[in-house]
Amino acid sequence: MKKLLIIMSLIFSVSVFAKGNVVEGRKKVEQVCQSCHGTDGQGIDNTYPKLAGQFADYMVKALADYKSGERKNAIMSGFAASLTEKDMENVAAYYAGLKANKLHDLSIK
Amino acid sequence: MKNILIMLLLLTFGSTAIAAGDIEQGKIKSYTCTGCHGIKFYMNAVPSYHVPRLGGQNEAYIVSALKAYRSAERSHSTMQAQAGSLSDQDIADISAYFASLK
Repeated sequence: MKKLLIIMSLIFSVSVFAKGNVVEGRKKVEQVCQSCHGTDGQGIDNTYPKLAGQFADYMVKALADYKSGERKNAIMSGFAASLTEKDMENVAAYYAGLKANKLHDLSIK
Repeated sequence: MKNILIMLLLLTFGSTAIAAGDIEQGKIKSYTCTGCHGIKFYMNAVPSYHVPRLGGQNEAYIVSALKAYRSAERSHSTMQAQAGSLSDQDIADISAYFASLK
């Protein structure tokens, strides 16, 4: 029963989080994203968002919005324009998977 | 003359520039935020994606995101409505609280 649950949760988590390729994502991150967000996804400055542990689908949405111009930021629109849809999924998968000092849910009190 | 200039600058920009966030106040003021951001794996409906995690997010980034929603520079109907009711101090407090959740 426990095994079944683990397997089911694995299937679920794979479909939810791992659309992109983490290895390819890391390569792209090193070329494009890391000068501001870092390879550790912490952001080199307090004004840049932390990405470690963020939801991959949210990051893909943000990148697509920067590329389309729906979300405006002088720096991000330039970088997002250079990414394909696959690149976005890959870099998002990479940052979503980082464990050190990652983002977490707010708790309800 | 120099003193007057400094005073004018302080009066114009000082209050917003040094609005430091109060974590305890932020905890109270962010009660509404948890209705979406505090529910694990909560999804934005249309289009469908996870509502972003904010616990431990960098403080200045949250400030800029909330102000962008408030000015409608960044669009999202729920977030624009929520941020629209926040003062600079509210935004500073909420951001300080989220950033403090390590």
